[in-house]
Amino acid sequence: MRRALAPRGLRSRIVLGFAAGALLVSVVLAGTTWLLARGYLLDQREALLTRQAFADANVLAGRLSTAGADVGEAVAELVPSGGADVIVRSGDSWYSSGLDAGARDVPAELRAVVGRGSAGTLRVDTADGPALLVGVPVDSADAEFYELAPLTELQQVLRTLAAVLAAGALVATAAGAAFGLWASRRAVQPLEQVAGAATRIAGGELTTRLPSTDDPDLLAIVAGFNSMVDALAARIDRDARFVGDVSHELRSPLTGVVTSVEVLAARRTELSPRADQALTLVQGELRRFRRMLDDLLELARIDGAPGTATTEVPLAALVREVLAACGRDPGLLVADPDEETVVAGDKRGLERAVRNLLDNADRHAGGTCAVHVHRREGTVVVSVDDDGPGVPAEDRERVFERFARGPNAARRSLPGAGLGLAIVAETARQHGGAAWCSAAPGGGARFSVSLPAVHR
Amino acid sequence: MAGVPLRLLVVEDDDPIRTALRWALEDEGYDVAEAVSGEEALAVVATAAPDLMVVDLMLGSMDGFAVIREVRRGHDLPIIVVSARADTHDIVTALEAGADDYVTKPFEVEEITARLRALRRRAGAGVGGGGPAEVVLDRFPDAPLVLREAAGTVHRGEQQLPLTLTEFRLLCELASAPGRVFSRQLLLERVWEHGFFGDERIVDVHVRRLRTKVERDPANPRTVVTVRGLGYRLDPQ
Repeated sequence: MRRALAPRGLRSRIVLGFAAGALLVSVVLAGTTWLLARGYLLDQREALLTRQAFADANVLAGRLSTAGADVGEAVAELVPSGGADVIVRSGDSWYSSGLDAGARDVPAELRAVVGRGSAGTLRVDTADGPALLVGVPVDSADAEFYELAPLTELQQVLRTLAAVLAAGALVATAAGAAFGLWASRRAVQPLEQVAGAATRIAGGELTTRLPSTDDPDLLAIVAGFNSMVDALAARIDRDARFVGDVSHELRSPLTGVVTSVEVLAARRTELSPRADQALTLVQGELRRFRRMLDDLLELARIDGAPGTATTEVPLAALVREVLAACGRDPGLLVADPDEETVVAGDKRGLERAVRNLLDNADRHAGGTCAVHVHRREGTVVVSVDDDGPGVPAEDRERVFERFARGPNAARRSLPGAGLGLAIVAETARQHGGAAWCSAAPGGGARFSVSLPAVHR
Repeated sequence: MAGVPLRLLVVEDDDPIRTALRWALEDEGYDVAEAVSGEEALAVVATAAPDLMVVDLMLGSMDGFAVIREVRRGHDLPIIVVSARADTHDIVTALEAGADDYVTKPFEVEEITARLRALRRRAGAGVGGGGPAEVVLDRFPDAPLVLREAAGTVHRGEQQLPLTLTEFRLLCELASAPGRVFSRQLLLERVWEHGFFGDERIVDVHVRRLRTKVERDPANPRTVVTVRGLGYRLDPQ
């Protein structure tokens, strides 16, 4: 339940925290202010009214001390300020300055206090709102003087004050939230930088590093992140170099073996039939081994030196030359002779990629049926179609992985090491292009490479 | 390979490779001499005067580059480099030192013998060839540049230029059609007999070497000129 209610994300948590903090502080402040102000104002009003009541009581006492004075008249002559009413008990009679005030407004508890000869105050509720009742004994005339002063004005003031304080609290809360938003942006910004750098690194830009900072809080993150990337880059570099080094080291012993087998092959007639068969097998395996080693070295070369030897290469012409050089039908090429198909790249690497696509069609589909070269939206696309069984949609990305093979490869012993298409993909990537597999219109597979066109 | 077998020197410090290579080349009819180190190779070149040489770049104290440079001081025999690393700067360095061609390990002996045959063919091709006896490449008043294909010589005035067999063959090829542009691909096929996927750096390095010998100012070549994006052309002056 808690989890469901908890806000998602660091940023909203920070905003909410700041808003809640601001709300709490401002409510406490406003409440305290209101209580203190209310108490102070009430005390002051009470003191004022009490003083006024005493003064009025004195005036009344003075009038009553005159012989034959009429209490009712004396009361009527009193004009208390602030709309207060005066209630007087003289003997058993009650007199009042207002029509709506009378003995019923004086509670017994106050009467008891005043009856004992001391003054007292009491807050009462009247039909017009809260009021303060002050009672003063007038001993000289055996009378009790009460003054009922309304507190509505004060209540109005307090109500306004409460509204102002509440509004202040709301503004403070909003300000807290706004500050929280700003602070969270500041706090999250370095994280976003880290995320951006990580994305670029994942995309292959291993030279990406976070900029150095003076912020002591971020120093550890930046240093940690950068050293992590350093270690990663070093590791990738080491792995790539290891593959290259191993392949190179394997070349020397392999040379001895290849040459020795050739010496043996020159003496085939001296061999028994079984030895001759074994020699044929060794020769086949050696050819496979050599091709695998060449492919590994080609991959190591691409990995190790991205974007070398760039010249302008017209792809349609290159495909035509490769077809001719491999002894294939030059009529396989489908291209508009008027279309510019020039790309910038490593000619040898591109030749190799095209050759690998043709070899792939030979191995897995019994041959190429067309090679299209055409421009598409700023790129030049080379597509090699075959009329084999095609590649299932779920395998179309996997075939470009290193050592991936055609369907049921485990059971079918195919020539080649499964590096040919990986080299195609790497070459395309090295040139800022892409390689993909789709279905050919004729039902077979279509392997395509797109490379950025050179605009002239 | 009629008549006297060609003498071939194999310089390789890896015993199994050297031995296997010797057997395979002897099967092909060569008279093979071996050298394990650079120093030994120089001694064999001095005493036995081989017709051809196959050199590994990774040798002991004296590496293959030094051997090639040293041999080139006084010999124009074809030199083929054998290297485990074809994509590095090593190949260009070896070609600049004076090697004629290279083969990458692991190779089939057929690759080496095909290259050797090509190198020998062009070495003898000029002799008795059908071309003009004399082509003047540069009419500089005091010392004209004269190519005598049949005699296998190039003279600057009275002085004979020390071209290697390959440089000479390259110059003859370009001189066969003065003013015509030869692509690197075509030169590789004609001079080195490489297939389509040959290394065009071989042509570039040889042109550079040729210029240092025939041009009056190799930095501003006027006889063997580069046609950007297409290839090379010979401009008789």
